[in-house]
Amino acid sequence: MKTKSDNHVLRHVFLGILAAIWLLPILWLLVTSLSAYKGINTMSFFPQKWSFDNYVQLFARPDTVANFPAWFKNSMLIGTFTCIISTAFVLMVAYAMSCMRFDGRKSLMTFSMVLGMFPGVLSMIAVYFVMKLMGLTNSITGLIVIYSAGSGLGYLICKGFFDTIPASMRESARIEGANELRIFIKVIIPLSKPIVVYTVINAFLAPWMDFVMAKLMIRSKDPSDWTVAMGLYNLVQKNLVGDYFSLFCAGGIIVSIPISILFVLMQRFYVDGITGGAVKG
Amino acid sequence: MIDKLEDYYTELHTSVKKGDLWTRLSLLIMGIGYIVRGQIIKGILITLAEIGFFTFTFGFSMHYILKLSTLGTVQREEHLDLVTLTKTVNDYDNSLMILLCGIIGILMILAFLHLYIVNIKKVYKIQLRKENGKHINSFYEDVKSLLGKKFYIVLLALPSLGVIVINIIPIIFMACIAFTNYDIDHQPPTYLFTWVGFDNFKSLVTLGDSTTVTFGYVFIRILIWTILWAFFSTITSYFGGIFLAKLINDRNTKWKKMWRTLFVIAITIPQFVTLLLIGKMFGDFGIVNSFCESIGLTKLLVKIGVLNASSTCIPFLSSPGWIHIMVILINLWIGVPYQMLSATGILMNIPKEQLESAKIDGASDMQIFWKITMPYMLFVTGPSLITAFIANLNNFNVIYLLTSDYVTANMQFANSNAKESDLLITWLFTLTNDYSNYKIASVIGICVFIICSVLTIITFRKMIYGGREEDFQR
Repeated sequence: MKTKSDNHVLRHVFLGILAAIWLLPILWLLVTSLSAYKGINTMSFFPQKWSFDNYVQLFARPDTVANFPAWFKNSMLIGTFTCIISTAFVLMVAYAMSCMRFDGRKSLMTFSMVLGMFPGVLSMIAVYFVMKLMGLTNSITGLIVIYSAGSGLGYLICKGFFDTIPASMRESARIEGANELRIFIKVIIPLSKPIVVYTVINAFLAPWMDFVMAKLMIRSKDPSDWTVAMGLYNLVQKNLVGDYFSLFCAGGIIVSIPISILFVLMQRFYVDGITGGAVKG
Repeated sequence: MIDKLEDYYTELHTSVKKGDLWTRLSLLIMGIGYIVRGQIIKGILITLAEIGFFTFTFGFSMHYILKLSTLGTVQREEHLDLVTLTKTVNDYDNSLMILLCGIIGILMILAFLHLYIVNIKKVYKIQLRKENGKHINSFYEDVKSLLGKKFYIVLLALPSLGVIVINIIPIIFMACIAFTNYDIDHQPPTYLFTWVGFDNFKSLVTLGDSTTVTFGYVFIRILIWTILWAFFSTITSYFGGIFLAKLINDRNTKWKKMWRTLFVIAITIPQFVTLLLIGKMFGDFGIVNSFCESIGLTKLLVKIGVLNASSTCIPFLSSPGWIHIMVILINLWIGVPYQMLSATGILMNIPKEQLESAKIDGASDMQIFWKITMPYMLFVTGPSLITAFIANLNNFNVIYLLTSDYVTANMQFANSNAKESDLLITWLFTLTNDYSNYKIASVIGICVFIICSVLTIITFRKMIYGGREEDFQR
């Protein structure tokens, strides 16, 4: 019996060590954001002098390189609009592909799959030229278009969910005289809450995480035109990192809080979505 | 496939041959066939669309389409008028605009041709209905059917338009660039670029000596590393995730929910924050190096010959070899919690009866894991494993954010604007963003695309054509 209880202790110690490895960088992010020293602390894990000043500076004293309130506002705008448009697109495409039967549906699905495999980074520069042709570079509208216009391609997980809703529910609604629009809005959407939440959160988060596309599209040198990701990325470039590293950490913590909350909410749906789609493979 | 194509044309043939005067007139004015048969609004709308198309083509895009074969011949010249001191610019060609607007114009023509043919057939069908005295839909009924059986058209219209603008046009455009000499020396509007055939592909597969800039050597090195990276990063986080999920979900483990949450916290912080942070931690003068030095690890590594005697720090992210291993390890930090989450979901779904009966038959825990759990996991997660592999082939964030401070010492790599740690995708990004070498970048992009799409089609053919998607709708 003794070996078994040893085993239990070992198991928990091992998990504890693993958890420590996973949490150390985040702890460092937190403590560095509370450091009075602005650069990278290379000698000790905890700051020599604690201070709340980074957070104050972040919101109250925007300067020529760090304008967090403006970044936050821009990202919020982009996130909100992208979220509305892409959620609508994803749900629409998923409904068409899952619940309706029409000529060319399967070839359209294969085509969209292949299209989705094309490295986004490659077409990025071409997207830039297309946007330029439409006069949308350097603007928030342009970024919203970029993040949401192609979102219809990401319908697969959602379709997987719609596939599990019994067709008989649609049939009976149809017999009662409902048209497809009504079935879509009154029958399918209410039954798909988990996947709708999943789609909404995912769509909202995407612009917060991306900095490559934003960097390419927004060529403005004025920090007040940037997004959070762009601005924070800029703070750790070689010439700035010595003076702004702890500010970067504070900014990282501030964006992480809402994202973490959304993520924890989504966690359940995340597991459902993945397995729901995978079981069918 | 060929049958369908044949039908497409025989139908067109009979429509034109057997159509009456009005149907044939629709070849010229597309809406007229509808108007004479009572569908006035539809007829007017279609005719308006036709007029719109012709004004667009002949007023705008034809100009560019005609120049597509050369991509422009008149180079930009500025002329300074010495008397008035004003600059005048000649009527120059912009290769980029020619290519882009040419592609858009051609796509419009193709779309129009298809609509045109479909239109003729429809007009003929309406003629037949009229002759047989059948009912012809009113405009109101047409709109109503758009919310009924044809609702998919409404649903798909806007998303498709978005995909065409954001995905399809850029992809065609970049695929064309692969056959031109568009690079830093041929940048519109100042200079022209033109077609060069397969020259760029050739320069990617030829191995030159070190004095000439050839991309061949670097391309092969990076291709190998990309595949190795995708393989190892996928496998390690996959098994790491399953292992962690097993560990946490074991009935002997207490506080399951707390453990799970601790690991999930790590992935809730945006990647660009954590990756940049970890990159700084493992820098040459970063905190991990100071720690290793203070416990004597650096000295130990020098002593046993892993590092050469002159090194004062462990080059985690600043020397080839080290950097390769480190990015895979750091990716483990990012990837394992995700895999743990999805593995948890799947482990809970394993049929309980199988596990019970195996236990009754006297199977050990290890036997159950390898004989029941793993095969089930592989069966369920097979497709997602391939998806993960493809995602890792294109894992831009991890590589780009972690290795942005690393400068290569290898001249071959430096000449090709690459570093040892680059994946095809990050190399491509550097080439376009920093060096404006669009021609080579496009060729690389096409290679990545071929690798990915072959893998995808193999994986998902079964899923789409297997006919199992309706299994769960019953």
